[in-house]
Amino acid sequence: MTGRALSARSAGTAADPATSRAGLSAGGRAIRIGALYLILTVMALVFLVPYLLTLFASLKPIGQIFSEPAWIPPKSLYLANFRYDFVSGGFLRYLANTALVTVALTLGQVTFSVMAAYAFARLHFPGRDKIFWLYLLTLMVPNAVTIIPLYTMMRMGHLLNTYWAIFLPYVLGAPYTIFLMRQFFRNIPQEVIDAARVDGCSEWRILARIIVPLSKPVIVTATLIAFVFGWNNFLWPLIVTNSQNHYVLTTGLANFQSNMNSQWNYSLAGSVITLLPLGVIFAIFQRHIIRSISITQIR
Amino acid sequence: MTRVVSSLPTRSRSANRKKSGVMGETTGDHVGRSGLQAFLGALPFITPSFVGVTLFLVIPVIALFVISLLNYSLLTPATAAGFENYINIFRYDDAAHSLGVTVYYVLLNIPLQTIVALALAVMLNSKRRGMGIYRILYVAPYLSTPVATAVIWYWVFDPKLGAVNALLANVGITGPQWLSSAQWAMPVVALVNIWQYVGYNMLFFLAGLQAIPKQLYEAAQLDGAGPFKQFFRISLPLLNSTTLFVLVTGVIGSFQVFDTLYVLTQGGPGNSTEVLNLKIYQVAFVDFRLGEAAAMSVLLFGVILIFSIGQFLFFKNRTTYEYSA
Repeated sequence: MTGRALSARSAGTAADPATSRAGLSAGGRAIRIGALYLILTVMALVFLVPYLLTLFASLKPIGQIFSEPAWIPPKSLYLANFRYDFVSGGFLRYLANTALVTVALTLGQVTFSVMAAYAFARLHFPGRDKIFWLYLLTLMVPNAVTIIPLYTMMRMGHLLNTYWAIFLPYVLGAPYTIFLMRQFFRNIPQEVIDAARVDGCSEWRILARIIVPLSKPVIVTATLIAFVFGWNNFLWPLIVTNSQNHYVLTTGLANFQSNMNSQWNYSLAGSVITLLPLGVIFAIFQRHIIRSISITQIR
Repeated sequence: MTRVVSSLPTRSRSANRKKSGVMGETTGDHVGRSGLQAFLGALPFITPSFVGVTLFLVIPVIALFVISLLNYSLLTPATAAGFENYINIFRYDDAAHSLGVTVYYVLLNIPLQTIVALALAVMLNSKRRGMGIYRILYVAPYLSTPVATAVIWYWVFDPKLGAVNALLANVGITGPQWLSSAQWAMPVVALVNIWQYVGYNMLFFLAGLQAIPKQLYEAAQLDGAGPFKQFFRISLPLLNSTTLFVLVTGVIGSFQVFDTLYVLTQGGPGNSTEVLNLKIYQVAFVDFRLGEAAAMSVLLFGVILIFSIGQFLFFKNRTTYEYSA
């Protein structure tokens, strides 16, 4: 199995020279392929079963969660847990807050990163390389380390318990995204840009009308990175907000769960509410997502 | 996302090898413009991100060191403390314990995670039907909200109601108390993180495997090398830099673990899972002793920096790393 997987060219065809050379009978080959799919499927179940059980539990009344094993599917479509979460649990508010903050973060981060990447890739100005190196150096600064000074700054700026505090540190562009985009922009043929300049296009117009349309893959990547980061971010919103009005899904859910104790029907429904929008995006963009991660690792 | 951020830029491979290195050639040329004019023209493009990088990354790093030298509690005015905080965090806050717990977590987490990721990548590295679907499924936990998946795992490992102990009971085993047991809590947390990151790391290995020329395997097969020999003699050595990259980014990310632990254990039982990042949070935002918390952050930063600088130096000289195809 390993050998076949490695040779990678035996695409399941019957006459496979590699196999016959390795001296395997057709039967042995079938067993190996069967074993491969079996292992892969078992692993897939390990990855998926937690989500499935959660979905089940979120659709059950608490009594059923206590009385029957988690892997029994719900008998009917019981939506009272979700109703409770949205109406009494504050999740409607958390969802709206998260959407607001994440969209603002994403729009800003992508826009400002595109602008900076264009300057670094395509403009000549004094100090450019030094500034770019500064950006690269900040890649070594872990998120966890800036939390305390950033909190102090937000406090001094009287921004604690505001939406601004949640997205401000990330909205003006991200060095890593700028780096990715710069690599991409540099591979756009110079002739295209020169032609536009000859036609009298301003740099802004070149960026908006030529660079951006030609760079869709990297822009989709940047958008997904920013969106998933914003949606999942926990430590920072936890620190800068402490009123329910400003809770996002992560902070709201963590708080809700610790208050709910063993009322798992409610907290698991809360997990579903938090994860479902991501799941939808995941389903729509699945190809982009895999490619995005490929872009981020190869370039 | 932190792990994505910590990947180093110079790791460009074949796709981009003509322009190796970070700086390289730049194409856009504005001959005849004066420096000042060029600078003013570029200013609007870089100002937002420059303000962002300066205000939210550069200044905080400097401020962190300053705060770590202060008695700073938010309630009273800050006073100079010298290196007192650095001594106090070891004397009174058990920073050494937290560091040890963090290292324990990393050791539980990273080796297993890397091996499973590599094994999955090897299995998925074929053009067979359905491989794309498996790949997507394995990556799903990486993109899921850690707080939400931690709530799920908390329930799955609940001693009374959880699926794990229910399954064990079916085969006649009384399961342990998992997250309420000092012995089991950390392995459970590590398992949750392995579940979360293994698919992501698999993608790196998959990309690495796909970059290895098929001819090498064909030649090995002609020489009679079996699957295992091929893996250990060809794949593994050629995946060297991928493996190192996955290991180092994994370690850097694991040193900053927070979300899952906050939900699953809050550092308990006792302080058995109190990793450094959780401790920093508690000292800073529960006790409001920002000076000590900053000193601990410096400690964390130092440890992480050792790994990131090592990684940077390693990959700096490998920008045009290329297989003869």
